[in-house]
Amino acid sequence: MWGIFLESVVIFKNYMGFHEGSYLAGIYLFILLYLWLTEKDKHRRAIFVYAPTLLLLMFFCPLFRKLFVRVLDDSETYYRLLWLLQMSLVSAYGMVKLCGRHRRIGLIIICVAVIACGNYVYDSEHITKAENIYHLPQEAIDIVDMIEPEEGRITVLVPADLIYYVRQYSTNIELPYGREMLIARWDYYHAMYEAMEKAEVIETESFVELTRDAEVNGGHPCTYVVLKEDREIEEPLTDYGFEIYGQVGEFVVYKDMTLTNS
Amino acid sequence: MISIISLLFWLLIIPFCIGLIPANFILPYKRNPGVVILAGYFCMWALFEVITIPAVLWVQYHNFSVASNCFTVLSIAGAIGGLLVWQRNTKKGKPGLLFGSNKKKNDTCVTRKEPMHRFAEIKATEIKNDDYVIKKKRMKHLIDMTWAECVEWLLFLALVGFQLYKALAYSSFDGDDAYYVVESLLAQQADVMYRILPYTGGSTGLDVRHVLAVFPMWVAFVAVKSGIHATIVSHVVMPIVLIPLTYLVYYEIGKMLFAGKPSREAGQAKENEKKETGKGRDKNSSLPGQQENLPVFMIVMAMFQIFGNVSIYTNETFFLTRTWQGKAVAGSLVIPAFLWLFLWIYDGVKKEKRADAGLWILFVCVNMTAGICSSIAVFIVSILIVVTAFCLMLAERDIKVLFKIGAACIPNVIYMGIYVVMAYSYLLS
Repeated sequence: MWGIFLESVVIFKNYMGFHEGSYLAGIYLFILLYLWLTEKDKHRRAIFVYAPTLLLLMFFCPLFRKLFVRVLDDSETYYRLLWLLQMSLVSAYGMVKLCGRHRRIGLIIICVAVIACGNYVYDSEHITKAENIYHLPQEAIDIVDMIEPEEGRITVLVPADLIYYVRQYSTNIELPYGREMLIARWDYYHAMYEAMEKAEVIETESFVELTRDAEVNGGHPCTYVVLKEDREIEEPLTDYGFEIYGQVGEFVVYKDMTLTNS
Repeated sequence: MISIISLLFWLLIIPFCIGLIPANFILPYKRNPGVVILAGYFCMWALFEVITIPAVLWVQYHNFSVASNCFTVLSIAGAIGGLLVWQRNTKKGKPGLLFGSNKKKNDTCVTRKEPMHRFAEIKATEIKNDDYVIKKKRMKHLIDMTWAECVEWLLFLALVGFQLYKALAYSSFDGDDAYYVVESLLAQQADVMYRILPYTGGSTGLDVRHVLAVFPMWVAFVAVKSGIHATIVSHVVMPIVLIPLTYLVYYEIGKMLFAGKPSREAGQAKENEKKETGKGRDKNSSLPGQQENLPVFMIVMAMFQIFGNVSIYTNETFFLTRTWQGKAVAGSLVIPAFLWLFLWIYDGVKKEKRADAGLWILFVCVNMTAGICSSIAVFIVSILIVVTAFCLMLAERDIKVLFKIGAACIPNVIYMGIYVVMAYSYLLS
């Protein structure tokens, strides 16, 4: 039970970003305490004070966590319970209430506190200038435009960098494996992925064999193979019946001519 | 151009017209266009859930078309119904469906039953002194808004505008898009819901974790109706819709917390009422002059969203980095909507007012909206509801609170029942 409690503490700390020097949780807890002491309206007290406090207690309760994980069969989403605290709503209400009539100076102090204790969302490394209206990398779009058949679907082997995006642009492109292979903790195995991504240098012969093995690739051989131009490979794919079909940025698109000819 | 008209039709006109139906059951002085559109969205999503989940579970081929066609017919019928209700009210000289009304005695809506008429009449005399003065004061306040308040509102609008600009001009990478966005696209391009593996394209059985959360299918529906690629709808159109909608919920909460505060006159009226009836609102439940705090509250809320990225897990981070995903909607729109309704139903008003059927309809619809957002959302909002209902029961010293709120959660129980049966059906076979 102690171990489960400590796990909840770690989840709480990670959620609140203590390890990154963010202390919005400090503001929230301070405001919660302030509301405990000053909120007189019994309904608001129930909604903004008692309920969040009970929810916090439940979050840390090992028995509750065990039950949650057992019913949902999922421990990764336990942090979402903290969404129920509605930190921003409770904090904003308490802070505005705290400032009372000193609205202008209060607003400045609140904003400074939020900026100092929070973290600017648009600084995230995952947020970048959109390259197109799809908000997908332009290279993924160009490659799909290049190879997408007019009718039907094809299977294409693409490097990990493109796996997330290709099917967001066209579902006519099928992949031998998808995003599930890129998440280490899910611990999936796929022979094609091992040959494509795990090998330091691609062993061409076995690699080509795998690309042509329909069973490995979900029912169809790979019509195209996309490799980064700096990807190390024992022998060029062109020696094994592939042709360079085109290049988009750093990605070289190979077409398996043996499939076309047959 | 047709795409834009279509988007306006499905994202503005249809929800607004549908919202006229629940608005009809909300007491007139509580209505405003914001409430109507929020009510419309929640009802529309509830309708979408009722239609789509059976299609996912029991229709194997072209299940998206089946759900989409049914939803088209029923949502248009709902919108027409809303317009008819509005027209009937207007004809009978009972406006106020959109903008609310203070004429409590005569403007009960046509579809209310007699007891509700009588109830409204009683209530009119009860709260005339208080609420009418508040409304009057509110209008006066709008005209008399100080330059400081104007600046604060402009600042708030600038912050929201900034978030919208960032949502349009910047792309936010999230691995889950490989699932949710592709599911929407599969529905649009392959006419299939949850029968194809989004990651690779292979066929698959129903995955209990995702099939009940049909929010991506609603995105696909918007995409099909507008003829816009589902990825564009997810990444561009959804933020334009969902960010303002979320702030609308915050605004309504802020209004409950601050703008609804009695002014000095209303406070006086309240005192008079207290003397007459021997009871009134709780002491200290409000302070005069807090109406000006609403823009401050909204600015602080916007600042919290922008600087709430203390980790990748917070609902604020989800709100601005994966706005289009159901779980983000659950965290930032649905959960606050419950707080809004709790405040609306219970905050500092007399027990009689809680007979307001429209609010309970909304409560049920918000519960159902949680279901289309995420399966886990249903479980966690149920926890929120149980805990808050328990606290409110203690505050009210009335066990009926639990039964009333519990009854509004029946859709959650059905949803969780389906989830559990699907998840553990292998034990039966």
